[in-house]
Amino acid sequence: MPSAPLLDREFLEKLERLTIQWQKSFPGLVGGHNLSRFAGAGQEFLDHRNFHHGDDLRAVNWRAYLRLEKLFLKMFQVEPRVPVRMLVDISQSMAAPHEQKFEYARKLAAALCYVGLVRLDSIEVHGFSNRLAQRIFATGGRHRFPGVMDRIAAWELQGATDYLGAIREFIGTYSQRGLVIIISDFLDDRGCGRALEYLTDFGHELMLLQVWADEDRVPPWTGELDLRDAETGAALRLDFDDVARQRYTRAFDEYASEIQALALRSGGRYAGVATSQPIEDLIFGDLIRARGIA
Amino acid sequence: MYLLNLSFLQFLAVFGSISVFAVALYLLDRSRRRQVVSTLRFWVAAEQPAAAAHRRHIQQPWSLVLQLLSMALLVLAIGQLRWGAPMEAGRDHVLLLDTSAWMAARSGNRTLMDLARDRARRYLRALPARDRVMLVRADALATPATAFEPDRRKIEAAIQASQPGATALNLDQAFAFARHIQSQAGGRAGEIAFIGTSRVADPESAAPAPPRNLRVLLVPDPIENCGLRKIGMRRAAADPGLWEIYVSARNYGTRPRNVNLALDFGPGGATGRVAAGFQQLTLPPGGEKEASFEYRTEAAGILGVTLSPHDAFPADDRAELELPAQPTLPVTVYSDEPDLLKPLLAATPRVAAVYRKPSEYRSNDTGLVILDRFAPPVRPTADSLWIDPPAAGSPIPVRRVVEQAPFAGWNSDHPVAAGLRTKDFKLDHATVFEPAPGDARIGEVDAGPVIVARPGHPKIVVFGFHPALSAMRYELATPLLFANLLRWFSPQIFRRWEISGGSVGSVKLLMDQDTPPQAVRVTSQDGSPVPFTVRDRTLDFFSGVPGPVRVVAADREYLYSLTLPEIGDTRWEPPAQAPKGMPHFSLGLDTATDLWRWLALAGLAGLLAEWVLFGHFRRFRQTRVLHPVLLRSKASDPEEVRR
Repeated sequence: MPSAPLLDREFLEKLERLTIQWQKSFPGLVGGHNLSRFAGAGQEFLDHRNFHHGDDLRAVNWRAYLRLEKLFLKMFQVEPRVPVRMLVDISQSMAAPHEQKFEYARKLAAALCYVGLVRLDSIEVHGFSNRLAQRIFATGGRHRFPGVMDRIAAWELQGATDYLGAIREFIGTYSQRGLVIIISDFLDDRGCGRALEYLTDFGHELMLLQVWADEDRVPPWTGELDLRDAETGAALRLDFDDVARQRYTRAFDEYASEIQALALRSGGRYAGVATSQPIEDLIFGDLIRARGIA
Repeated sequence: MYLLNLSFLQFLAVFGSISVFAVALYLLDRSRRRQVVSTLRFWVAAEQPAAAAHRRHIQQPWSLVLQLLSMALLVLAIGQLRWGAPMEAGRDHVLLLDTSAWMAARSGNRTLMDLARDRARRYLRALPARDRVMLVRADALATPATAFEPDRRKIEAAIQASQPGATALNLDQAFAFARHIQSQAGGRAGEIAFIGTSRVADPESAAPAPPRNLRVLLVPDPIENCGLRKIGMRRAAADPGLWEIYVSARNYGTRPRNVNLALDFGPGGATGRVAAGFQQLTLPPGGEKEASFEYRTEAAGILGVTLSPHDAFPADDRAELELPAQPTLPVTVYSDEPDLLKPLLAATPRVAAVYRKPSEYRSNDTGLVILDRFAPPVRPTADSLWIDPPAAGSPIPVRRVVEQAPFAGWNSDHPVAAGLRTKDFKLDHATVFEPAPGDARIGEVDAGPVIVARPGHPKIVVFGFHPALSAMRYELATPLLFANLLRWFSPQIFRRWEISGGSVGSVKLLMDQDTPPQAVRVTSQDGSPVPFTVRDRTLDFFSGVPGPVRVVAADREYLYSLTLPEIGDTRWEPPAQAPKGMPHFSLGLDTATDLWRWLALAGLAGLLAEWVLFGHFRRFRQTRVLHPVLLRSKASDPEEVRR
C-alpha cells in the first residue's frame, strides 16, 4: 500500500504564487528575483557601451551605427541562478519524543522545494546529522516535484547532530555561495552557533527554520523523571514540577532567541515553529513576515 | 443524618479502599517515569536540588485532597446519605408467604393459598409507601420472589403468581433466611411477616427461634383430611410373580374417619384398568394405619392406589406407581442328555430353558446357548456356555488332556467363581485350555485352567469337563457355579426391585448391603442425576419436584414414585409476644431529605475542578496557548532587528 504523499494537491496549488527570497547579491550570481548590477548574456536590456575589438557582433546596435556611424554594443542583465541549498536535520533528536518533528521538517522541505521548482530555481536538498547525506537535486520545473517529494519522504533518521562537521563538509563541497535554508531543531550539545557563523563568513545567506515539538518546549510530565538523550543516550534523573517546567521553558526560549539573533545578525531570516502549528500558517504567515518567502 | 444503602463500616471500607487506591496512584504517578527527549540541555537548567530529586512524595497535596474529598462525596451519594433521623426513613420488610403443599387445601370454595394471598395484599397496603418489601416463598426451601422492592405493583404481581408447592413448610429455614437477608440489605430492618398456616414439616421446625421482629398472620385451616402417606412394593421372595404391596394412610383431622383403599392396575391412562385390591380402614384422629395387598403380575404397568371418599385436600388421595416387567433369560440347551442339566437350570425361576438335540442346532438363538459336548458348525451369536467341547471345535484352544487330576482351586476374584471354596475332588478326565490374554481362569488343575471365561460380546464360558459327569456333581459348588454363571451372563434377571410411593422432599434409603458410592446411581425421570450422599448403608437424597426417582445400587433397583404432596405433621405455635393481625403503621410525612443528588454533583464538580486546576487540562492549555505567542515573537523581521 503506497504511503500518503507528504503534501496534497490543494496545498501545492496555494504555493504556486510564492517565491523564495534572498537579500544578498552574490558576485557573479545575481539574477533570479533580484535585479542584477552586472551585465552579461540575458534577455533584459541593461545599457550601451563602446564596441571593442573581439566583442560579439550580434550585440552591436546597428540602428545606432546607421544613424551615428559609430559602433555601440548593447549590454544585457545576466540571469545566472542563485544556488538555493536546503539542509534538513535527520538526526535522532528529530524523533524525540515522537516523530512529529521529523515529519514536519520533511513536509516543510518539500513545500519549499515546490516553491523553488515553480520559479525554475535550482535547489539542492541535503539531509544531515553529523555529516551530509541523502542529497536531492531539485531543478527543471514543477513536473520534477513528485520525484523530489518521494525521495524526501524516503528519508530515514540517522546519527547524532554535529553541526560543525556537517557545515565543514558543506563548505568543502560547495564553493559557490548562495542561500542556505536549514530546517532543524538546532539541538547540538556542542552548539551550532560557530558552525552557522562559518556559513555566513563564507558569504552564504541563512534562513533558519527551527522546528520543535510541544513537549520540547513545555514538557507535560510531572514527578520523578528518568530522561535519556535521544542522540547521545546520556541519562538524567530529576524531579520535575511546575516551577522546574517554567525554568525549562525559559531556557528553551533563550536558546531559540540565540538562534534567532545569530540569523538576523548576519542578515538572514529565522522562524521558530511548533509542530502543532499547521505548515500553511507557517509559510503564509511567519515566513512571509520574515521575508523568507514573497 | 444516616446512610440508606450502606452501613457506616461499609462506607469506611469502600472509601478506605478508594483512598488507598488514589494515594497509590498518586505515588505511582510521581514515581520515576522513563522518557526519551531531544536533548538534556534545558533539563539540566530545570533540575531540582539532588536531595529533593530522590524523595518520593505527593507533589500536589491539594490535588489529592480535592480528589479524596470528591470521592468521599460520591461514595456518600452512592450510600444515599439522608438528612434526618433514621426513624423517619423507610424500612425493609420480608414477607414470608407459605407456599407449602398444604396451601392447596380448600376451605369452602377457596384454597388456603387464596386466603393467604388476600392477607398478603392487605399487609402490603398497610405498609407506608416508602417501605420496601421482599416477598419470599416458603416451603421446604425459602425462595425470594422479589428483591427489596418499593414498587407495590411488582410485589402484588409476585403474590398473585405464588402457587402451592409439593413440599411441607420448613419454618426454621425460612426465618433464618429472612433474618439473613434483612441484615445484608443494609437499610433499616422492618418486620418479618409470616402469612400461612401453622402446619410445619418436622417437630424440630415446629419450635424455631422466632425473630424478634416477627409478625404472624395465620390462615385458619380447620380442614379434615385423610391422605396416603406411603406406598411400598416388592416382589415376594418365594414367588417372583407376586407383588407385596403396603399402603399407609393418615388422618390429619380431629375426627375418626372410615376410608376405602382401592388398587387398580393397567396401562397408563384411565382406560383398560382392572381392580387389584380393596380394603376399608378406620383412621383415628392424627393416626396412621397400614394395609397390605398382594397382586400377581409379571407385566409392566401402572398400579394406582386411591383413597376415598375424597376430601378438601384431594392431592394426597391418589398415587400411581410404575411396575417394571419381570425379566427372564431364555436359555437354549443343545444336549443328548438334557436331564443332566435340567436340575441346575430349574433352580433359577427367571430362566426359561428350552432343550434341543444337537441336530436341531440354530446359530441365531437369543439369550444363552448351552452346548453340551457338542461343537456346532457355526458358533452361536448369543452368549454361550460350552461344556467339554471337542478339541477341534473348542472356542478356547486346548492345551492338553489330563486324567485323574486333582482340582487345584477357584479364581474367587472373578464373579463366576465368587463364593466357591470346594476343591477336594479329582477330575477323571478334563481338558486343559490355553487362554488368551483377556480370558479369565475360573477353575484350574495343576496343568492349567479347566474353566475359562471370555468377556466381551458375546460372552463365552468353556468347561473342560462335564460338571454333572464328574466328581463335582456331588459338590455344593455346582449349583452355585451355575447361579454365578447365569448372574454373569445376565445380571438383570437377578436384579431385585423395590418400589415406593411417597412425598417429595428428603428421602432416606437404608440399603440391604454395603455398596460403594460409585456403584450407586440416582436419576430423575428425565435421566438427569440427582445429588445424593451415602453414609454407612444409608443413602440420602432430596427431590423438590414431584416425579419418579430411580436408585440403582449393585443388583438392587429402587423406584421412588414421589408424587404425593408432603404435608406437615406438626403444628407450630407462634410466640406469644409476636404481634398478630394486620399492622397499623404511622403514616407520618417523611421528613428525611435525600442528599445524594447534591453530593453527586458536588463530587463531580470537585473532580472537574481538580482536573482543571491540577490535571492534564492545565498542561494542555499551557501548551496550546503559549505557542502562538512564541511564534509571533520568533517570526522576526530583519528590519526590526536593524532598528
